Amino acid sequence: MVKEECKALLDALNKVTACYRHMVLTIGGTSDSQNLREELKKTRQKAQELAVANRNKLTTVLKDKTVSKEDKAEFERLWVIFSTCLEILEIDMRRALELGHEFPLNVPKKHLIQTGMSGGTSGVAARAMSVQNMKYEAEHNIDVVDLKDLENEINQVGEMMYEMEMKVSVPQWTVEAKQDPGAELKSTISVGASSIGMISVEENKSFCDISKVLAGIIFSAVLIIAIVLAVCVVKLS
Amino acid sequence: MLPRAVVVLGLLPVHSCNTSHLCYALQIEALMMEMQNPDKGIKTQTQKVMITDIPHAVAGKSNDILQWILQRLQITEEEALHLGDLFVKYGYIYPLQEPKNLTLRRDGSLYRFQTPYFWPAQSWPADDTDYAIYLAKKNIKRKGILEEYEKEHYNMLNQKINYKWDFVIMQAKEQYKAGKERKKADRYALDCQERAYWLVNRTPPGMLDVLEYGLDRATDPNENKVNQVRQLIMYCQQAIMKSRVKSSVSLGGLVKYSEQFLSNDPILSGCLPSNPWVTDDPEFWDLNAKLVEVPTKMRVERWAFNFSELMRDPKGRQNFQLFLKKEFSGENLSFWEACEDLKYGDQSKVKEKAEEIYKLFLAPGARRWINIDGTTMGITVKGLKHPHRYVLDAAQTHIYMLMKKDSYGRYLKSPVYKEMLAKAVVPQETVKKSSNFPFGRRHLRSSPSPIILRQQEEEAKAKEAAATVDITQVMSKLDRTWGAVPRLPPRTPRGGGGGVAPNGCPELPPEVGQPSRLSLPPAPPGGGMAQGRVKPSQSFVFKSAAFGAEVDDSAGSRARWPTSECIQPLRGCAPCQGVHPGHPLRGVHPSLQVSCTS
Repeated sequence: MVKEECKALLDALNKVTACYRHMVLTIGGTSDSQNLREELKKTRQKAQELAVANRNKLTTVLKDKTVSKEDKAEFERLWVIFSTCLEILEIDMRRALELGHEFPLNVPKKHLIQTGMSGGTSGVAARAMSVQNMKYEAEHNIDVVDLKDLENEINQVGEMMYEMEMKVSVPQWTVEAKQDPGAELKSTISVGASSIGMISVEENKSFCDISKVLAGIIFSAVLIIAIVLAVCVVKLS
Repeated sequence: MLPRAVVVLGLLPVHSCNTSHLCYALQIEALMMEMQNPDKGIKTQTQKVMITDIPHAVAGKSNDILQWILQRLQITEEEALHLGDLFVKYGYIYPLQEPKNLTLRRDGSLYRFQTPYFWPAQSWPADDTDYAIYLAKKNIKRKGILEEYEKEHYNMLNQKINYKWDFVIMQAKEQYKAGKERKKADRYALDCQERAYWLVNRTPPGMLDVLEYGLDRATDPNENKVNQVRQLIMYCQQAIMKSRVKSSVSLGGLVKYSEQFLSNDPILSGCLPSNPWVTDDPEFWDLNAKLVEVPTKMRVERWAFNFSELMRDPKGRQNFQLFLKKEFSGENLSFWEACEDLKYGDQSKVKEKAEEIYKLFLAPGARRWINIDGTTMGITVKGLKHPHRYVLDAAQTHIYMLMKKDSYGRYLKSPVYKEMLAKAVVPQETVKKSSNFPFGRRHLRSSPSPIILRQQEEEAKAKEAAATVDITQVMSKLDRTWGAVPRLPPRTPRGGGGGVAPNGCPELPPEVGQPSRLSLPPAPPGGGMAQGRVKPSQSFVFKSAAFGAEVDDSAGSRARWPTSECIQPLRGCAPCQGVHPGHPLRGVHPSLQVSCTS
């Protein structure tokens, strides 16, 4: 099914973008290393492949006139997710370029910022590339060499986004999110995370309960008093 | 904003590639990087955290930071403290023990350096999407426990970027999962970093928001100040040259004005007959309607105050026109009014109006040629090549001044004015009536429909334009048509010269068959216009709620009542005059009255 494929591709792109963001965060810090730069490069390339695949798939679907209305709405929603993801990816790539220029690794005078990180990001990279272990095979000055490629890739992504805008016109604001606020809490990630739902609603609920209970008590008390009085009246008369 | 210590930093090598950063940001970043130097930088230590030990975590004791700044920049302690404080406020360093307190404390509390990704930079403003992702992540981590202001932001963002919300949730989950791949200590440090970043960029209520205008409004120290100062000098010089009036003079003018107009002010001096807002009686408005037949004395006296008062009042203009016609300079006022119409009329009609005015008033040999001097004429003609609203301004001003200096004086002494003054009415003061009807039905009166008023005005104007010079011709024509047919021909020219009030469409068809005595009806029609309908074959009642005066129709006075040209639709309803005053359709434009009882 086309929808499932699109979703799967989108999930993959999403995952890679998240991992890329994690890695860009560590540039310039103490966990920065040549390995990190290599991981960045690989992740980025993977992200681009996924992006291209996503784009092709989605554009063919959106250009298809035979798609039903609900399907079209669904694909438009996926399109919006895709374009947002791509925006974030592009921003991260640009920042990576900037930070890469600022923090070259092999210059002895330039020291890395002591951010408190000690571990590496190999796990993140492995997750991004969907492999068990990362292999590092790049040269020792990849941090500088890679920057040129990075620039080109940024331009490529920029062009892709521009093309996307031109070819497919999906008004972003018409898409309605499927997930409610607080939906992330319903995930089974954290142990014991019961579905709490909207935070404010939760509080209101408890308040309502208390007031309801109070009201019930008062009402029943009044009822009892009324009954007692009636009985007294009956008895006395 | 930053102390001069930053200027001192000019000694540092500045990055040339990061032109997107602010100048001072560059310098701070350079400082930050110097601080990392293991030999000359700040000595760091590990932080022991309750949950987990962060063995290699580095933190700089605040005193160390202060000492380092002092030593490196050679500035006073106060400045160093301030500078260090700014570092913390802008998010280059964040406190570990009291995350929300973004100040540099001197008691040895621990701080840590922020990762470069989270350094403030103008080209990467903190994005709403990112913030939403962060809040969603926090939600997951803390199982729904967010701070109040964070909850508010969350809900607000949910509405604001709702179309991205699916992505936000997906990304938050993925980022959370990706974070799990790191060491626990690193995860903790990451949390601290993110929290610090968002504390700076989305300050909780009550905290000082440093970035407010901060990043956006930083001035470029390389900017050319000389031009700015030059402009300032020019402005001041021009301001000095402006002509000024002594305050004693201007205040004197104000006092004079107030004294003169005091009696005319309805709030300060009360108004006759009564303030409609107080007594619910709109007689005042009726009496002072724009082109009422007989104006109030106060109004007429006001025309004598100055020329602009006369020109402001449409009735005054009308009267003045009458006078000017006698002097054979009526075209001046007509021209002035035409210019006003041009200025305030439709933009689409500007061109044609200007052309018409030129043809009628300005062209050599025009029908109503006005007398303006050669230069003004030249300017005007030149401007008329590309007509716009204000193309006739010069000519208009000239004519205005001409009328003011020349005709106005004579007008005030003329019989026309004196007659108007004598005719003017002083309304009686009425008593508050509403006390009689506390719960009674209030008759709601509607004022004349603006459509009707406008029609009347346009009629008057058209009539004005047409019947200009030859009054006698018009009068004879009028006499002819009067006795002729009960149904009035379409466009009989109005009589009485230019200055007759357009007594056009009555709000209410006058009662027929009633004696000529006019009684003040319980619910007078609004508009206070002299409402008359010409019925040559019948006697008619001149209905004007305002006056309560008996008006008789007679052949002589007929000349004063114009034919109701605007009532072409009404003429079909002429028989409808039998509508009873209490009829519910009263006050409605008769053309809307469907049922005509003939």
